[in-house]
Amino acid sequence: MLQIQNIEKYYGSRNNVTRALDRVSFDVEDGEFLAIMGASGSGKTTLLNCISTIDTISAGKILLDGVNIADLCERDLAKFRRERLGFVFQDFNLLDTLTIEENIGLALSINHQNPGTVQSRVREVAGKLGITDILSRFPYQVSGGQKQRTACARAIVAGQSLLLADEPTGALDSRSSRNLLEMMSAMNREMGVTILMVTHDAYSAGYAGRLLFLKDGRVFNELLRGDRGRAVFYHEILDVLAAMGGDISDVI
Amino acid sequence: MTLYKLSLRNARRQARDYLIYFVTVVLAAALLYSFNALVFSQEIITLSEGMNMLPMMIAMAGVVVVGVFGWLVAYATKFMLLRRGRELGTYLLIGLENRQVARLFFLENLAVGGGALALGTVLGGLLYQAFRAITLTLFGLSYHFAFGFSFPALGLTIVCFAFIYLFALHRSRRYIRRANICELIYFDRQNEGVVIRTGRKRRWIFTVSLVLGAVGACLLMEGDAIVGVIGAGSLILFLFGFFLSSASEVPAFFDRRPARKYRGRNLLVFRTLTSKLATMGVLMAVISMIFTATLISEGTGLVFRGLFTGRAADTACFDLFISIDDPERDHGPYLDYVEKNIPVEQSVQYAVYLSGSSAVRDYLTSSISYYYFNFYQDPVLRYSDYAALRLVAGYRPVELKEGQYLFHCMTYLEEPLREYGRSLQMGEFTLKPGDVHTEHLSQSGGITNGRGYILVVPDEAVEGLAVNHRTYAARTARPVSQEQYDALHGLHNDRLDWSGPVGHVDRITTRASEETEVASQTVLIVFPLYYLALALTMTAAAILTIQQFSESERYRRQFALLQKLGMDRREMAEALRVQFAVYYALPAVPPVLIGVPFILHLARLPEPGVMVGMSSPGVIAAASLVIFFLIYAVYILLAYTSLKRNVLPA
Repeated sequence: MLQIQNIEKYYGSRNNVTRALDRVSFDVEDGEFLAIMGASGSGKTTLLNCISTIDTISAGKILLDGVNIADLCERDLAKFRRERLGFVFQDFNLLDTLTIEENIGLALSINHQNPGTVQSRVREVAGKLGITDILSRFPYQVSGGQKQRTACARAIVAGQSLLLADEPTGALDSRSSRNLLEMMSAMNREMGVTILMVTHDAYSAGYAGRLLFLKDGRVFNELLRGDRGRAVFYHEILDVLAAMGGDISDVI
Repeated sequence: MTLYKLSLRNARRQARDYLIYFVTVVLAAALLYSFNALVFSQEIITLSEGMNMLPMMIAMAGVVVVGVFGWLVAYATKFMLLRRGRELGTYLLIGLENRQVARLFFLENLAVGGGALALGTVLGGLLYQAFRAITLTLFGLSYHFAFGFSFPALGLTIVCFAFIYLFALHRSRRYIRRANICELIYFDRQNEGVVIRTGRKRRWIFTVSLVLGAVGACLLMEGDAIVGVIGAGSLILFLFGFFLSSASEVPAFFDRRPARKYRGRNLLVFRTLTSKLATMGVLMAVISMIFTATLISEGTGLVFRGLFTGRAADTACFDLFISIDDPERDHGPYLDYVEKNIPVEQSVQYAVYLSGSSAVRDYLTSSISYYYFNFYQDPVLRYSDYAALRLVAGYRPVELKEGQYLFHCMTYLEEPLREYGRSLQMGEFTLKPGDVHTEHLSQSGGITNGRGYILVVPDEAVEGLAVNHRTYAARTARPVSQEQYDALHGLHNDRLDWSGPVGHVDRITTRASEETEVASQTVLIVFPLYYLALALTMTAAAILTIQQFSESERYRRQFALLQKLGMDRREMAEALRVQFAVYYALPAVPPVLIGVPFILHLARLPEPGVMVGMSSPGVIAAASLVIFFLIYAVYILLAYTSLKRNVLPA
């Protein structure tokens, strides 16, 4: 589905160049749950921003279903984002002035979908994610976990093919984090949603099917979960982090 | 860095961050200075006797203006204080005392106020020249630019500013001196209170407020003072009720129509609107009230201007006009004075007769609803007198065909009189209606050329008719001076018998005295009303804009999210435009709905024939709206361009 080919990203002026991404390459298969781990400053968020088309790459290619997103004009990029990508952010990014139902419906409204079907579609997705009873509330009236479920519902309600999650459990307590990750796993497993999650939390990464480690803008290692249980995979992740040395204290 | 330097730096930053507020305070200083300069200008005050009232009129408006600007400064100062709570709290955290922080805040606001006052005084000097030019033009005098500086005006402006600022700063100072670190740092996280909480209650209030609005508008136009006060009270209740309850009614409307809610940009627009109403309903109601007062002030100013010029246009059509109430008396003493003192180019003495019938008057009172009459029989002029009168007034000659009579009337009677087809029987003469003429001919008073209309008949037809009054009209070589006018009035007073009840009163008017009267009345009434209107619009628009800027961060986050969700820039700009338009339109809609009917009603109150042409009710209402929205549009445009640049993603 998604092919990242030798992408590079530089920041700064001629005399002070920072290389945020250095020849990063990987593929994401349809229906896959991929996590990307790394310490602060490793380039995770830059990578996610480039894939989500809100930032540009300095070199390389990003292909989604064979389409090079660098070839798209601004208007097509906007269309691409609203039709193909769903976002879940660490700080939820819900609009305070909209109810939970309206926050989810906003994605459909932006997608110019038939206004008459928006409410039923929102209720259908909310039912699957267990937030039907909070639809009429405002974000400040619900818990962090419920806000993140709302963000997930918004990310898939318009039939987007790729869900990009940036530290989705960063602002949640451990119980809410576990609930959210289980829900994301279920979305991936039962609804076939392709998920690309960036995190520095080993526990969260343990829910993914495959894990890429990013260090200083480069892919440092790759772990496949295969048929192993989540606990075994989690310990393997910790081993890799230990091998990465001093960064371990930053990522657990 | 000393506290003083820190204050100066903060003052510069404040002026930059709240540029629109700073500009408004500069304009406030300019307005105060320029009107104060008018008060202290001997050149202006001595233009006519009536202008002695100008200082009192401007002082009365000035008290309200200082109060309004005081509210703006107090509001903006409190607003900035709360926005900067984190910064001020940090000063406390690093060891400054409350007293020192309060002093810091006091000094920097004083610096902003001082800077605004200095700039405003310079600008006010120019503004004064504009007012001076308008005033001199109104009095028909030539204007030459002469930039002068009025120390008394500056002194009064400083006193006004001291009142405005010291009140606001005293409150802030007291707040800071009592505040603790936690309160200051976390104040910006507190939500504003919602006054009415339950949806059902709000909906009930919404319905009642609409009813109150309609009732209040009707009562206000009744004309009676007590009923008018009740009407104004109802309108105030309507505005508060409407703005406090709309936050519940609008979502309820869309909740019942989900398809409409998700159509186009509706969702974003209506939610932004309701969130604004939920948190600043009271402020919106106050601003709406201010806008209503502004629109009514501007409309009233134009109505008065129209009234003065409309009345004067009719009475000032002759350079000199003397009417004697008693047909037995003559113009002797007046004409002696005129002959000795006033060079006359053309003149006519004539009598206004009564036709012996009230057929035309009865026709007019039955065919139009607003005809007021002074003559119990139709007034009549001899054709030869009428022809001479037209010559004196400078109008082209008109012909009276044999067997006909003419109408000369004010414009509002032209249409019904053209339709009047009845013959006039005067002794042995039977005359058919002829043409209708409508030039100004002094037709709006009791002993003038008829009340609104007069019949012009062949000379021989007036034989045997009763004389109502006698009149003298003249075209002079030079305008009749104030001294000459006063001398003529002196003669009139000498002729009155003061021992008993005042009987016959003569009417003496001159074109020059009428024009001076119009100019004085305009300056006395219209200037203070516009002074007030300008201050009110600037204050309300500035507060709306400050509020809007305070939302910049929220708007920025909203559009960053919308960009990620796939909204393209053009759509975002459109959404911002609509959100913006609704925000600024909302407090302006009730004032338009209340103000326009009120102005139309007010403009229809004067006697018919006065408010015509550029002073007709429709034109006055439209002009009031244009003036109001021109000033408002400047603020909207500044705020929109700034906000668009700051909140839309690059």
